[in-house]
Amino acid sequence: MPDRMTLDQFENELESIGYITERNDRIALTAFLATELGKPLLVSGPAGVGKTEIAKVLSQVFGAPLIRLQCYEGLDETKALYEWNYQRQLLKIQMGREHLSEADLFSTDYLLPRPLLQALLSEKRTVLLIDEIDKTDSEFEAFLFELLGEFQVTIPEMGTIVAKERPIVVLTSNGERELSDGLKRRCIFLHVEPPSVNKEVRILRAKIPNLPERLALDVARAVNILRERLVLNKIPSVSETMDWAKALLVMGKTGLDPAWVDATLTLLLKSQDDVELFYREMGAERLLFESSKLAQGERRVHGQS
Amino acid sequence: MDSHDRVSELDRHLVEFAQLLRSVGLKISPSEISDAADGLSLLGLVDRDRVEAVLQATLVKDVQYISAFKEAFRAYFASLEQKQAWQKDAEDKTSQWNEQIESTRKDLRFQENELDLSEEQRAIYASLPEKDKQRLRDFLEKSSNGTRSGVPVDHSYQPMVERVLRGSLEYWRKKLNEEEPIFSPGSTDGVLSEVERALRDREAEVLSRDLKKISAEEWPEVIRLIRRLSQRLASQVTRRYRAARRRGGLDMRSTLRRNLRYGGVLVERSYRSRRRGRPKIVLLCDISGSMLKYTEFIWQFIYGLSSVVSGIKTFAFGEVLIPLTEKFKKGQRFEVMVKEALAVSGKEWGGGTNLANALETLRSKFPDTLSKQTLLLIVSDAQTLEGEKAAALLGGIHGQVRQVLWLNTLPERRWVETPYVKAFLPSCVMYECFTLGHLTKILNKQF
Repeated sequence: MPDRMTLDQFENELESIGYITERNDRIALTAFLATELGKPLLVSGPAGVGKTEIAKVLSQVFGAPLIRLQCYEGLDETKALYEWNYQRQLLKIQMGREHLSEADLFSTDYLLPRPLLQALLSEKRTVLLIDEIDKTDSEFEAFLFELLGEFQVTIPEMGTIVAKERPIVVLTSNGERELSDGLKRRCIFLHVEPPSVNKEVRILRAKIPNLPERLALDVARAVNILRERLVLNKIPSVSETMDWAKALLVMGKTGLDPAWVDATLTLLLKSQDDVELFYREMGAERLLFESSKLAQGERRVHGQS
Repeated sequence: MDSHDRVSELDRHLVEFAQLLRSVGLKISPSEISDAADGLSLLGLVDRDRVEAVLQATLVKDVQYISAFKEAFRAYFASLEQKQAWQKDAEDKTSQWNEQIESTRKDLRFQENELDLSEEQRAIYASLPEKDKQRLRDFLEKSSNGTRSGVPVDHSYQPMVERVLRGSLEYWRKKLNEEEPIFSPGSTDGVLSEVERALRDREAEVLSRDLKKISAEEWPEVIRLIRRLSQRLASQVTRRYRAARRRGGLDMRSTLRRNLRYGGVLVERSYRSRRRGRPKIVLLCDISGSMLKYTEFIWQFIYGLSSVVSGIKTFAFGEVLIPLTEKFKKGQRFEVMVKEALAVSGKEWGGGTNLANALETLRSKFPDTLSKQTLLLIVSDAQTLEGEKAAALLGGIHGQVRQVLWLNTLPERRWVETPYVKAFLPSCVMYECFTLGHLTKILNKQF
């Protein structure tokens, strides 16, 4: 793998590992820009549109190990950056009471590196995924500034640790909380929307090779309508679409019919509220009718162009 | 030399473009402009789409500004002829506006003296139908030539005439603003005024539109937004801490650090601070006649909140307080639910407002709802009977609860005209909230 590549090469690489992008989703271009400029990539968008996947794909393209930090409420630097190995320090204190200096206790031997420090200490370039950054406190976000801006961290007892090899950093956010300006300023920003019908068909066909094209199209159109027309608590994610298509394939279906939509709907809609909403406002037959209308529309556009 | 010139030309355009984005509300730092320049030199300037993508990725860091960015990009990188046309248009509009304002100076005179009116008041006059303009001019003429006890009036009567005229224009302002606000022509810069126009046309989608004007087809989108916002509220409310008044768990790390000086023998202990519990949200919604237009918004807000925050207590109030204790069901109309509740209490929907009465009932009949954990959320336009009593009661409650948040569906500039808003202000944090944009801003600021 060459160290530097052009955008076209990068796009080809993505395609060769089976990652589907479209020119107008700008995923490839923005990810390329972030890696080339050495800036963290901040990806926002609804749950299940493939934000985390971007980090995994970058790790594959650049052959860099993926280090993941899953954020949650209350995450602090002892879980994210480093922790001292207190048990070992205590043992050391007990053993060498007389001739002990502080430097003995605060050396790398007693340091337990957590994901962020692991990424900085790694000899090889890594992809650091900071997932769902919006779930952390704003204090933690501020704490990340040094890492994201200068790729270094300061440990009070040891001094500043600079990244041996700058990691490719990907942050994801579901937009639950407004991120600080400082954080946003340091990042390249990408907003990902749910895929278009066309893109979703390509994803389905790439991930499930023996899926008939007609079924892929039916599934993608139906999911597209669910996402756009109903106000669901949680829209079906790409992976749920895939599960649905797989289930229909296993059942030997080549297209959708109302009975099977009813039977397999819970693969897409995971809360009782959403299922009730679906039957109240749409129902399986209407869903299929709308999706055939969508197909006609696509054909008309196609015919015109 | 040549390449140096080209680079600085690119930089100049970038800085200008960033200025344009700033003037439509984006925050852009110099380091981001430098990122954009690096990005462009990496990917080249040949492909317009790529240039747009690079600029968007480096300069726009918030989804809500993407549409503003797109408009700005379209206008800034338009053809020269197009830009000249916009420039001319903007200049024409400005000179037209100035002419109009100037002509009001001639029209609105008292005994040949110019009247003391603000530019906004003059603009209101200018936008009136000719018939009504004539009526105001007639009034001025008559009062200029009027007499008092047989003696012609002199210039000392001017302040009085001005007051009458201001009152009349104020009446028109309310009437006109209700339908269409009066815009000054904005910037004299052609590109900027084009962007402003485009954004106004879009009304920044539904975000900046008055919630009572949102049509039925647009509600699904709005509901989605409200749902997202309420989810944010729900997840935010847990992230507050308080000092460790009571002991939480033992903090091993800091305990060991403190005791290293004693050779590792644990002499002093440190404790983690306790997490502050989730606030208990108590929602008080005004369902009086003046708020009827906002019921859909209120309902969606209540539903959105109650589906993500458990244990939320909701009350509607008009002349009396009505507890809405039923579990909210998706699809059930707010009106139906309130009507059912009203049928029990024998009252009517959409009557007058008596906040004092509602607060008194809340205190006496539902004392458990008010504690130090309570976040009292009031959605109302603050037009109530017994305002002073209500303000006093709210003052008392303010001391009892964690916070009182008031979402006022009346624009802030109208608050001065509403008798009791001033009295409520010391006991609550009041925000104007009649668009989704407001709601988003409030949640960003508050949580």
